[in-house]
Amino acid sequence: MSENHRLDPQDQRPNRRRAQGPLAMIAGVGGRAASAALRPLAAPASAAAEAGLTLERRAVDRLLESDELGRIVNAAIDNPHVQAAVEQALASEGATRLVDSLVDSGLVDRLMTRLFDSGAIDRLLYRLVSSDALWDVVDEVAASPTVTAAISQQGLGFADQVGEEVRARSRTADDWIERTARRLAHRPPRTLPPEPEPGV
Amino acid sequence: MDPPAGSVEPDRSGGTGSAPDTRYVGLATRTIAFALDAGLINLVAVIVGVGASLILSLLHLPGTLRTILAAAGGAAYICWAVGYFVVFWSTTGQTPGARMMQFRVLPVGDEQVLKPRRALLRCAGILLAALPLFAGFVRILFDSRRRGFHDRLAGTVVVNAPQLGVAATRRASIRAAHAASGRPPTTPPAMGP
Repeated sequence: MSENHRLDPQDQRPNRRRAQGPLAMIAGVGGRAASAALRPLAAPASAAAEAGLTLERRAVDRLLESDELGRIVNAAIDNPHVQAAVEQALASEGATRLVDSLVDSGLVDRLMTRLFDSGAIDRLLYRLVSSDALWDVVDEVAASPTVTAAISQQGLGFADQVGEEVRARSRTADDWIERTARRLAHRPPRTLPPEPEPGV
Repeated sequence: MDPPAGSVEPDRSGGTGSAPDTRYVGLATRTIAFALDAGLINLVAVIVGVGASLILSLLHLPGTLRTILAAAGGAAYICWAVGYFVVFWSTTGQTPGARMMQFRVLPVGDEQVLKPRRALLRCAGILLAALPLFAGFVRILFDSRRRGFHDRLAGTVVVNAPQLGVAATRRASIRAAHAASGRPPTTPPAMGP
């Protein structure tokens, strides 16, 4: 075994050390001395850190398992300062930018596609149709006079179209018969009243 | 006396979903509507008459009683026909035929709908107008408000009543409510800051 192998790895570059000068040599000696002095303490310190980590994990586990976490969350939600901070954050331009960037990034589209592909929407609709509340809402809507009027108005279909045509032609016939009768009787044509405003 | 041609009738839709405009309805439209009403009246009368005849055919009634029943049937038919017009004119101002042709019979003046007595008078006026070879209806062609003999007798006009859409009906009813309360309609508050 050569002399070089017994040296510290840093000492394997004698040319470089020489180039760094005496100050670097002194610093290297100090570092080695400190390392040698602290070596007996390294193992207990490591064990203490390990024990600290274990304690921390146990504490977190206990916190998660206990009701305390729920109490903390509820207290935070009920706190007016927290609520004000959340409202302020939601009203800020940053929140708007965040929503815009989420929409622009296509995340919403991907989310929708994922929801449809996973069948979650189908399940949601199935549960919705199965719920009594939905049919209560349908009953309410169907019984509203506005919807009833709309359905009865749109439900005539073809008959309504024919009626519209008959009405238009009969109005034309009114004017034509009247004009002809007045012409035959040598009467001046009737002055029509002004057209009403639309929607009146 | 007729008002000058072009005078504007007030909006008296009565909140029934249609609003009469200022155009008076002429002879052709009113004839079609009357034909539709006559068809409906006779359809009901035929159905009832056939039903009654079928029932009576099983009873083997004497001839005299049949004559009395036929006279009663005739009277019922007249009552049904007169009642049909009187009830519709004095409630909505529209018979089914008039609704189909989208016009309405309104009294001249401030009243919203025709009173039953005036509706009955108008019915009698139609009969009287038809007696001299329908000469009473010819007046519709020459009157500035297209009023026939029966209209003048009962003090009525026949005006257009177009059926409005749901949104237009709602707007019209809101306008009518504001007009009744004397306050101008308010615009909805602007959205956002």
